[in-house]
Amino acid sequence: MALITENTRKEVTDIVYNFFADECEVDIKDIHSDTNIINDIDGDSLMFLELIEIFKKKYNLDIELKTIGKYSVKHPVQTIGQLIDMQLLIIEHENKLLEFDQ
Amino acid sequence: MSQKKLAFVFPPFATDYPDDPFINLTGFDDCFRKFLSRAAEFADPELIQFAIPSCTFLDDELKTQYISYIQACSLVSWFREKEVVPAYCSGYSMGIYAALFQSEVISFLDGLVLIRQAYKEIKKITMKKEFGMCAIIGLNLDDLERLIRKEKLNLKLAIQNSVCSFSLSGAAEDILRLTESAQKEGALSTRVLNVSVPYHCDFLKDTAGGFSEFVNQIQFRSPKMPIVSLVDQELLLEEHLLKNEVVRNLFTSLNWYETQLYLQELGVNRFVECGSGKGIVKNARFIEGDAVFYMANSFPVLLDAK
Repeated sequence: MALITENTRKEVTDIVYNFFADECEVDIKDIHSDTNIINDIDGDSLMFLELIEIFKKKYNLDIELKTIGKYSVKHPVQTIGQLIDMQLLIIEHENKLLEFDQ
Repeated sequence: MSQKKLAFVFPPFATDYPDDPFINLTGFDDCFRKFLSRAAEFADPELIQFAIPSCTFLDDELKTQYISYIQACSLVSWFREKEVVPAYCSGYSMGIYAALFQSEVISFLDGLVLIRQAYKEIKKITMKKEFGMCAIIGLNLDDLERLIRKEKLNLKLAIQNSVCSFSLSGAAEDILRLTESAQKEGALSTRVLNVSVPYHCDFLKDTAGGFSEFVNQIQFRSPKMPIVSLVDQELLLEEHLLKNEVVRNLFTSLNWYETQLYLQELGVNRFVECGSGKGIVKNARFIEGDAVFYMANSFPVLLDAK
């Protein structure tokens, strides 16, 4: 179980903001915590998947996609802020994400 | 420094037109209108009414296939004027017809004829039952096969896009059941596609005889550049192989993931999606390597880099 520090949060936030600015071709200044990923910047599930792969590599995470999928059904992600919170939980709990949720 | 090789990939028919992706392509609209006008005269006069902002014909599969083919052929012509020539090309689903046009195997009008006949053959088979397709992201093939067995669904794998992105075909009711089960299983995304035909699986096997007879009457020429098969990733260099590809494309599963890997093995490091969408480029992100992907709104960047 990884310890989430302020540095981790900042790093994850930077990656997420830069990723969506690049993929959705929007100015990073127009992305905020409450930006709706689908409605506001035309994001999609493939982007979500790609982001998960980026974090899996960066933090050497042991987590199955379907664990994240099952978690997402119970906690749907709509905004950038929610996505960052979810990525931090994934980094913290990896494959024990669902146990943490119980 | 390795030589940059370019591949054109021709996409399946559009399911939406969120914005006009060609708006920044100088001269494209004139080119498109010329092809559209020829197609309207030859295949269907209503085609001339097509306009992206109004999403014309999206509820009509045949017309939408025509439009996607016309857009792709217009891009071929537009790129030719700019002397952009790919080393390889490949057709994803009905994109095979535009790939044949790109390689100068068939004429523009013969492509329209092939699309119409394929649609006729398919409708003969599928008119008695409701069929459909779905896209599922986030589960692997073993997961999907297990779900299909467990739920006793009559569904087939139609297309693999990446290690965890698939399209499946089958009875409409089973498609719905699979999307529900896949969500419970942990799929990140499930989507019923806006099609009424179970493309790329053996539900369409009975199209083979009639369509093959028809295809054999069409003149195919030797390709000016290799076409890579999405069925088995072979290089298609002879007319009889290309005719066979057009026929089996309807009822055999496709693998864009393996095709892309193979193109990279061949030295391709720039992929161009020759259509209005960006679905192929999106799926390409999950392939290792340093390949660059271009879709319509980034074609000016491609031209600058030429």
